[in-house]
Amino acid sequence: MLPAMRNDRLLVGLAILIGIVLVVIAVIYWAEPAKSLPGFFPGHQAGSNHHHAKHGIAAFLVGLACFAFAWFRTGPKRSTHAA
Amino acid sequence: MIVASLITYPQAIILGLLQGVSELFPISSLGHSVILPKLLGWNIHQNDDYFLSFLVAVHLATALVLLGFFWRDWVRILKGLGRSLAQREIRADDTDARLGWLLVVGTIPAGILGLTLESALRKLFASPTLAAIFLMCNGVMLFGAELLRRRAPRTDEDDDARIARQMSWGGAFGVGAAQALALIPGFSRSGASMGGGLLMGLSNKDAARFAFLLATPIIGAAALLKLPQLLGHQGDGVRGQALVAALCAAVAAYVAVRFLMRYFETNTLTPFAVYCFVAGLACTIYFVS
Repeated sequence: MLPAMRNDRLLVGLAILIGIVLVVIAVIYWAEPAKSLPGFFPGHQAGSNHHHAKHGIAAFLVGLACFAFAWFRTGPKRSTHAA
Repeated sequence: MIVASLITYPQAIILGLLQGVSELFPISSLGHSVILPKLLGWNIHQNDDYFLSFLVAVHLATALVLLGFFWRDWVRILKGLGRSLAQREIRADDTDARLGWLLVVGTIPAGILGLTLESALRKLFASPTLAAIFLMCNGVMLFGAELLRRRAPRTDEDDDARIARQMSWGGAFGVGAAQALALIPGFSRSGASMGGGLLMGLSNKDAARFAFLLATPIIGAAALLKLPQLLGHQGDGVRGQALVAALCAAVAAYVAVRFLMRYFETNTLTPFAVYCFVAGLACTIYFVS
């Protein structure tokens, strides 16, 4: 029981952390042109002034999904009766 | 002024009707929009900026028709989503909430793959011959889905309750991801999601319903994201044609969705599979020779 609860907390913590990171990544994509993106970001291109707005939207949506996951996992525990 | 003749009004009407039907029929709208201009000798290329702007209007029209057709369902689903967020759980007996989250889970991979790969794949596979070959593959995919499908259990539940019970979270994710195949001209979005639904044990009717519900936010969001393109300078010279095409697409999409929801009550994907294979084969031979 205890390890399961610990795993659950770990999952929720990870989901929140990944969600925050993805929202930050989204903001970077929206704010910075392709030339200013960190080299390891998909879409980085030296000399390009193009804004990868769609990459930002994708990162933001996955971030929201992570938050939604954490929201449901930390909800009130249901009383499940096995059939 | 030369721009004004890029797409004529008769071409816009034909393309609008074609898009409206082929977006919802499992026969690949993108594939048809690549193949048909080549077959008819039109000087329209799928990657031209003006044509992409033109397509925004017909996609938006199709999405609005789908939204209108399933309006009551969407209202119920959105209420279900709100309810589950407030309760912080997706109750097993809350069909609308579960269906809503299944649609969210299915939309995530389709959205991400679409946002990140759409442009690259479109440019990579924008040849009529490749589109014809992939149309054949789409036929094989549809036929394979019918062949490998799991038998749908017969119940007296309503459509959404059946879908919500039968579709797993992983299944919804897989069906959503399968939609990304439609980024390749020749593969059908609705075909991929209907095929995925059949593999998950849905009936043809439920698979079609789930596919249309899943398609609405994706088609609508894609069109809305690109709307500035149509309203900006890239839409110069095609806005009138785009409006006419959008009206035609709306009418065709409405007829198509009404027809398909009745058709799939008793019929299968097999006729579409045969059409895609035969049409793809014929076009491949024609383009290569």
